[in-house]
Amino acid sequence: MLTKKQKTANWILVIILLIASLFFLFPVIWMLANSFKGDAAITADMNTIKAFIPPALSGNFFDNYITILTDTKFLKYMVNTLFYAAILIVLGIIVNGLAGYALAKIKFPFRERWVLIILLLQIVPMETILTIHFLMIAKVGLLNTVIGYILPMIVNPFNIFLFRQVFISLPDDVYEAAQLDFCGPLKYFFTMVLPMSKTVVATVSVFTFLNVWNDYLWPSLVFTSSDLLTAQIGLNSITSNDNTTMGQTLAVITLITIPVIIIYSLFSKQIVEGVTSTGSKEG
Amino acid sequence: MSFIELKKINKKYENAERNSVTDFTLNIEEKEFIAFVGPSGCGKSTTLRMIAGFEEITGGDLYIDGKRVNETAPKDRGIAMVFQNYALYPHMTVEKNIGYGLKNMKVPAEEIKKKVDWAVDILGLEEYRYRKPKNLSGGQRQRVALGRAIVKNQKVFLMDEPLSNLDAKLRVSMRNEISKLHRQLGTTTIYVTHDQVEAMTMADRIVIMKDGVMQQVGKPMDLYEHPINKFVAGFIGSPQMNFYNVTVKGEEMTFEDGKKITLPDVVAERLSDHQGELIMGIRGEDIKVDEQNRELYKANVQQAIVENTEVMGNENNLYFTYGGSLTVARVSKYELSQMGDKLEFVFSPTKMHFFDKETEENILEK
Repeated sequence: MLTKKQKTANWILVIILLIASLFFLFPVIWMLANSFKGDAAITADMNTIKAFIPPALSGNFFDNYITILTDTKFLKYMVNTLFYAAILIVLGIIVNGLAGYALAKIKFPFRERWVLIILLLQIVPMETILTIHFLMIAKVGLLNTVIGYILPMIVNPFNIFLFRQVFISLPDDVYEAAQLDFCGPLKYFFTMVLPMSKTVVATVSVFTFLNVWNDYLWPSLVFTSSDLLTAQIGLNSITSNDNTTMGQTLAVITLITIPVIIIYSLFSKQIVEGVTSTGSKEG
Repeated sequence: MSFIELKKINKKYENAERNSVTDFTLNIEEKEFIAFVGPSGCGKSTTLRMIAGFEEITGGDLYIDGKRVNETAPKDRGIAMVFQNYALYPHMTVEKNIGYGLKNMKVPAEEIKKKVDWAVDILGLEEYRYRKPKNLSGGQRQRVALGRAIVKNQKVFLMDEPLSNLDAKLRVSMRNEISKLHRQLGTTTIYVTHDQVEAMTMADRIVIMKDGVMQQVGKPMDLYEHPINKFVAGFIGSPQMNFYNVTVKGEEMTFEDGKKITLPDVVAERLSDHQGELIMGIRGEDIKVDEQNRELYKANVQQAIVENTEVMGNENNLYFTYGGSLTVARVSKYELSQMGDKLEFVFSPTKMHFFDKETEENILEK
């Protein structure tokens, strides 16, 4: 039982946290509310409480969104990005997962050194090797292609390390039992290892999705054709266009935020578990 | 040729100073239930894992059903294995766990169902067949592991301490179930355990190992009655055999603390070549406290003060110090003494074992 004093303290804490979260929510609410307004209304409401309240439902309520989705290629950019993310999630799980499995379970010379090198790779910022990636992709003539965009993005040292940490705690006797059940190594990886490590698979998928969704630099280097562009580049080109209104800008930003919010709210448990645990409680 | 033949099998791990298993030679007949038993680190699991193919054999030859299998992959050796930690597939139901091997063997679905039904029925898992391993108790999990092994109709079952994670009561009932299963299926079984009671109660023959070397192989009662050395004598039987440092001179046996016993002629004669310092061993139940025996061997009646008692109900263990060693006598429930009581007893003369002090070999069993 909590004492009266503890109860009061709890209430005060809740109120402080509520105020703090509102503080972070205000910009989002402001963005959402104003994305339904015309520029005149936005300016008029700017210094009043109305700035946080959407306009009344009327015929032109969704105008900004309709303009963005019909007059620009933004919808296509979003679909493109989802497509790239899907491919990269699948390939990333296969490639990084297999690498993590090898580093966790297969004995070969200097294995621990390899793990160390992969850990060290995380220190290198992506931007520093981007030029090298770009030159290589250009040299093999893959600029402005989906393959050219995807290839350098597949391998991710952090994901390899995450997989390795989880796989290392998988019991060896399950593999031995599977061998006696006529299950080969690759089949074992796909039908046993991955299902036994659902949490880390979910975590890596979410991270990969967010990586792809939020990436700006690499797609802007690789892609020149407007048919292949990603949402972030689309966002930039739409918002920097002089003809775009402030309401439309806010509508684009809202659209680009929605998938991230959905993913976070669906997988928040897995993200936390995947990063904090080693997966040993699985099963 | 025997069904499984191990010829001078050796195992030496990389960078290890000595062999984990040395010159292990054994013939196992078809349908036999054989137990490898010994303290931890004695090489029993390593030997089993070499038979399974999970450990490389560094020396010697292994034959299963007439075929040399040293380099054969585990799955092609015709074996099924039950692991200490069950090794079930956590994301599959009981039914899927049991049928997984058959599925990979491309057995038709109908056939799989039939076999899984049979296994589930024989192991009493019907009500759990759609559960996942995490929702099962230890005993149920081990039954699933057994089910997985029996459906595949393999030639050999290997069991690596399958009951060591279960509580005492469950262990006894699973022991019976495994024995029953073996009688029903008649599959050649190699069973590794550190528990000599399991080995004694289940196996047709027992292999006792120590430091990677086979000490003795034989039927449970042979090992119990005729241990080849002090290690086997001490390992088999509970409570452990009592050991004393003695000096034998003719018919006279003198204990460390100066107490003397006269040996019967037959024993003295057999020891005639082994005069001097020896180790004498006698089992708790061969220390007799009843009147009849005390009367029979009255010249050798000894005395001691009871230091501790273990009341089991059907029988009781009395602890006392005699001849410089802590001694345990196993007496019937009618012969219970209290702590501090003066105890009169005799050593059953024909039940004494004598071991060489240096080699620890049983002199009378040579």
